[in-house]
Amino acid sequence: MNLRIHAARVIARRKTLETVLNPGFYIAQTAGLLLGYILITGFTGAIDSSGFSFELNPVYDFVGRAMVGAFGRTFVDKLFSEGPFLLALYISFLPSFFYLSINSVFRFSFEKKVGAIELISYGPADGTSCFLASYVKDILLTLLTIAILFIYFAVAAFNNNIVLGSRFLYSVPLILFTSSALYAYGILAAVATDNAVSAISLYMGIVIFFLIILMGTFSIVSGYVSTLSGVFTRIAGWLSPLFYWNLSLTGVESGKAGFFITGIVILSVLTGIVLFASHLIVGVKGVRK
Amino acid sequence: MKGKAAGFILAFCVTLFAFADVPVRKEEFIYSILAFNGRDYSGTFAREEADTIYLIAGVDNFLTAKKTFVYFWPITGEWRTDTQGLDQEMSGTLEVYSDKEQPVKLTPEKYTYYNVRGVYELNWNVAKGKEADKVRSHYEDLVDEYWKAISEYYNKRAEYESRLDKITGEITERRKRGEDVTSLLEELKTMKPPARPQPPEEYTVPPVPVKSGFIINLPVGEYRIRFLTPDGFIMQGSEKKIVVFEKRREGGIGYEIIPGDKWTRPSESKTPHSVLYVDGTTDLYLRPFYQDEFNDLYYEKMRRNDSRGNPNLMKWVRMQQVPEARIEMSPMDGNITTVTEEPFYVEQVQGASLGYRIVPFDAEGKHEGREPSIRAFHIPIERERGVLKISLFDREGKQILSGKRQIRVIPGAGFKTGLFLLAFVPLLVMGVVLFFRRKRYSD
Repeated sequence: MNLRIHAARVIARRKTLETVLNPGFYIAQTAGLLLGYILITGFTGAIDSSGFSFELNPVYDFVGRAMVGAFGRTFVDKLFSEGPFLLALYISFLPSFFYLSINSVFRFSFEKKVGAIELISYGPADGTSCFLASYVKDILLTLLTIAILFIYFAVAAFNNNIVLGSRFLYSVPLILFTSSALYAYGILAAVATDNAVSAISLYMGIVIFFLIILMGTFSIVSGYVSTLSGVFTRIAGWLSPLFYWNLSLTGVESGKAGFFITGIVILSVLTGIVLFASHLIVGVKGVRK
Repeated sequence: MKGKAAGFILAFCVTLFAFADVPVRKEEFIYSILAFNGRDYSGTFAREEADTIYLIAGVDNFLTAKKTFVYFWPITGEWRTDTQGLDQEMSGTLEVYSDKEQPVKLTPEKYTYYNVRGVYELNWNVAKGKEADKVRSHYEDLVDEYWKAISEYYNKRAEYESRLDKITGEITERRKRGEDVTSLLEELKTMKPPARPQPPEEYTVPPVPVKSGFIINLPVGEYRIRFLTPDGFIMQGSEKKIVVFEKRREGGIGYEIIPGDKWTRPSESKTPHSVLYVDGTTDLYLRPFYQDEFNDLYYEKMRRNDSRGNPNLMKWVRMQQVPEARIEMSPMDGNITTVTEEPFYVEQVQGASLGYRIVPFDAEGKHEGREPSIRAFHIPIERERGVLKISLFDREGKQILSGKRQIRVIPGAGFKTGLFLLAFVPLLVMGVVLFFRRKRYSD
């Protein structure tokens, strides 16, 4: 066990270094910050003497109308009740999240296919330590991403006299735990398939499925779509990290700290279960292609 | 040639009108619903295709079974009834089923509802059966008395004016003749016009004319209903689910925000502890109100059965004003100021700007004989101030925690260029990393 952890630590260090030497990571960070910049300046441009009104800014008008149409006015009012940072945090995080997760899924599947992991496993490392290393690398770089976003938003908040907001502050740890569970699903997709394309397709399918369930939960459509979404949520909602993310945020909104903590605990447990499932699959399938 | 063209255009227009999109009216069984929404009664209807009716728990709601024409109005995207074409109330019984208890059979009952004047705005009452007739006739008596008093007033007013004309005419005549008018002037001084009677003040919403319907007052839960004709047949399309819900939280504080330059465009701050961002160009006038929290979908559907809502979100709904409250303003410098509710008058700005200006109401001066336009808390906004925290205290001087808000003035031109350039710092770091890496390997 200690050997596996040690191997995972050494490989994680190596993989982290490889990623920070790759331009893709920086481009994803910049893309995220630019999205945040657009949302923050758009928000300040949509304020007049009576307060925030998304119709006043072209970017927000488009986004706001689309969201009101899909999720209702109450959703939009709550989203911007403390400022733009809650939306900006999630939107800005997406480029880095997809870069890190897809990169890990691709790399692991590719290395498995070309026999690199098999080669390593003749030494002190095994398949589990390889994917754990990948997971640790993702978590470390996610922490770095969140720190960068936090600093950027804090500067923007101070400069524009806007508050970061309590829901933003609660979302900072929550985004880490939610993405952690999603990274675990990425590993599961990588170990369960035979090539990189299949792994990425499966992973994207899982993420999109979870997103659709979440959006269905919040959408104001009625009738068939609503019923279908309700059925999917009942069947597969408990598998989705986004379900527990929503549970935690709902707890924050209604002033129930217990819900927030429960959500985080369940996300951690879910991560552990998915990683354990990946370990079992690696044990059964091995690390040959 | 011109004649032919005109004829063609005319024919085209006639064809357009002939094929205009006239909504198709369909005869349907509906439940006409008068639901208490926490603030007042709102009317809606559940057509045959609607599977669920939403009502608030523990209050009287009224259902009427009807046959009417139903049509979809595409301009507003809502279903409507054409009661002028057909409005037939159905007689029969309503069966209410729940999973736990035996079905309850309801028969139509007479009812009226009204709101009496009190310290708070909401003092709704419902009168049923004979009591409904009594309440309504009491109100009608009050109205009759009022109109009698008005009639007497006009008679007295006519007498007064006739006497006034007579005296003034006599004074003129006597003065022409050089006679003494002192006694007439004395009489003129003592004459007072009759006081105009006030309309009945007992009610803020008078009892509505007595109607007949099924009175539904249920605890929280899900129920099923169906309508039975006097022959005992189930009416087609009458089987519905009833979702009875309650508020999740109550007594929250919301604010109606009236900017000094746009008093016709007030906004609302409903989320407790939310932040109000303004550009600082004008003062604000606030009106605090109590609000309750309901499920978004349930509440919207209760008010209009064909509307849409979010089943997984809660929304705050404005209930009534906070009486005799006061607001404490705490700016950054720590100089706390207390503001009380004051009357204000909205004046139209003279000239081409066509705006409005809110000024303090001067009851004895230039606004004499008028009513104030608004009663609100005046919050002066200064661009330099940056942050202003407000707290609300009730009439007993107790702080209402959910009434806390921050008002923040957003600087017009911030550090936008700097913020934009800051977003490129990761690329700069990338350049540095790649440079040193290349240098290291080249060395």
